[in-house]
Amino acid sequence: MSTLGQVRLVAGREISTRARDKGFILSSLVIVLLVVGVMIFQLVSGGTTSSTTIGVVGGNPSVTTALQQSGEAAGTEVTVTDLDDEAAARQAVEDGDVDAAVLDPTGDSPTLVVEASSDDDGIVRSAVSALSVAAQLAEQGVELQPAPQLTTTELDPADDDRGPAVVVALLGVVVLYGLLILFGQFVAQGVVEEKSSRVVELLLSTMKPWQLLAGKILGLGVLGLVQLVLIAVVGVTGALALDVVSVPGQLIGTVLTVIAWFLVGYAFYASVFAAAASLVSRQEDLGSVLTPTTLLLVVGFIVSLQAAQDPGSTLATVTSFVPGLSPLVMPVRMAAGEAAWWEVAVSVAIMLAAIALVVRIGGRVYAGALLRTGGRTKLREALKAERA
Amino acid sequence: MLEFDGLVKSYGDNQVLQGVSFSVAPGQMFGFCGSNGAGKTTTMRIAMGLARADAGQVRWQGRPLDDASRRLIGYMPEERGLYPKMKVAEQLTYFARLHGASSAEATRAVDEWTERLGLSAKRGERVEKLSLGNQQRVQLAAALVSGPEVLILDEPFSGLDPVGVDSLADALLERCRAGVPVVFSSHQLDLVERLCDAVGILARGRIVASGTVAELRAREGGRQLRVVVPAAPAGWAGGVPGVRVVSEQRGDTVLDLAPDADDQVVLAAALRTGPVTHFARREPSLVELFREAVSAA
Repeated sequence: MSTLGQVRLVAGREISTRARDKGFILSSLVIVLLVVGVMIFQLVSGGTTSSTTIGVVGGNPSVTTALQQSGEAAGTEVTVTDLDDEAAARQAVEDGDVDAAVLDPTGDSPTLVVEASSDDDGIVRSAVSALSVAAQLAEQGVELQPAPQLTTTELDPADDDRGPAVVVALLGVVVLYGLLILFGQFVAQGVVEEKSSRVVELLLSTMKPWQLLAGKILGLGVLGLVQLVLIAVVGVTGALALDVVSVPGQLIGTVLTVIAWFLVGYAFYASVFAAAASLVSRQEDLGSVLTPTTLLLVVGFIVSLQAAQDPGSTLATVTSFVPGLSPLVMPVRMAAGEAAWWEVAVSVAIMLAAIALVVRIGGRVYAGALLRTGGRTKLREALKAERA
Repeated sequence: MLEFDGLVKSYGDNQVLQGVSFSVAPGQMFGFCGSNGAGKTTTMRIAMGLARADAGQVRWQGRPLDDASRRLIGYMPEERGLYPKMKVAEQLTYFARLHGASSAEATRAVDEWTERLGLSAKRGERVEKLSLGNQQRVQLAAALVSGPEVLILDEPFSGLDPVGVDSLADALLERCRAGVPVVFSSHQLDLVERLCDAVGILARGRIVASGTVAELRAREGGRQLRVVVPAAPAGWAGGVPGVRVVSEQRGDTVLDLAPDADDQVVLAAALRTGPVTHFARREPSLVELFREAVSAA
């Protein structure tokens, strides 16, 4: 059996035992449901268009048209209902059948009945004034030509509206953060399980520590990637089907970016988690050795939330180059269109160099600490330990 | 031939092994004895690549053991270890495959060994749910399931009930007859004496005695006699030339004879004290040989 054969066997075991693990299945379902939930929320909250119903006493078709046009200008879809008299209008407003009611819109003293002040006030005001202007002009015998269409020339065009892409990136970073924590924990627990049950001695009589480590990280990585791709497919399909996003190309680009950053981030964090976990022999001691690394992830997550607000900030720019933070911050900056291609290239290069370093040192720590059971191994001891 | 050649190993100032050498032929069952902390486990872990010798090497068929050849060895570590949450059959299949068995071979071997070690009913159970004795059997199966060319077992019998001891002993003898060299360490010297073709006694980092039990007895040089004279007064044999009293209890006496001592003189001396009900050469047990070898070292 070749060197890679052992790695493949270890990876296969990780995948088959984890994929049947109840905790894993449950967490997968929760994440998928969360993504679907966010999309449904987006859809229900209706994005940018709102709607209102306005009752009219003494209206006519031109009043209806004026109200609807005025609503359109304000970004609100207006439904017009005819009402009999003032009493009926007050009743309808109180009952909530209409959001507002206009009395005598074309008369000398038009009145608006609302429950409390609302946006409808502005819509009705401009509709009433438009009707009045039109009526006065008609009296003077002026015939109105349709107003010319306004053309906008952008001097510094944003290629698209980046808002939705940032939202997608942020959602992606939330998932990415969750998966890094989850799979980092899986790696760490697996390492300690083998140490605490002492099965590691049997394993190491058939392979080198690096083969065991590589198999474990690769196996769980494949599983994480499958889960992420599954979430992405559900998310993208859902978003397109429900028409939540307007620019599919941008959406898919952002999702692919997040997936790519997951791979880099996972390689980094899984190696650190594995090395840290190899220092202890009991699951109870795991928390203390994982905390520093987990904190780094949390910091990256918080910064990425901030970066979504202000992608051009110094904090976001600097942290998008810091290894460990960059996988969470850079996708947001990229989605916001704030990162030049060379910045991304430099950030990836730094991260790859960091991974190489972490794998090297982490591998040494892991190999040195793996057969030292009982108590907690000091980092220095593990680095000095003989490697059989 | 499995050869342990001049193994030296120190942990800090503690020199655990000071040149351990012995060899085990194919089809030979080698009992590895020694006091606690004598270095048996370290010797076996060096063979399995779990510790590195400061000097010396372990060879199989003339070549130093490496990763590839270690996969041909069935190993049972002193610190038992299995995946607690993995099912018995899955776990054994995994270990067989790590030793290079194909998927089909592994499945067949797992069926066979779980059957032989009385674990057929437990194949689908998680290891943590099994009794300690059964976990021990699974551990043995893990060493045997890959059809190893060599077996290195650290205290394989400890923790087994008599039935378990018998089924393991049968399995080891059968492997041995198939030409597999078997090395196992044990404190149960009666078991070693019964099963092993050869014995090595490790004391203070060295093999102080090795060979077949018969050879060890011969090398012991002296002959022993057991003489029972119920009526004899205490100390009756003290004056016989070339004789040392090993033990004496109500007329039941064990004597050590110098090479030139005449046992007939001893018999005559015994008869002078009363009727002799027992007079025979006595074979020292492995326990006694062990004590002798360890205290002389």
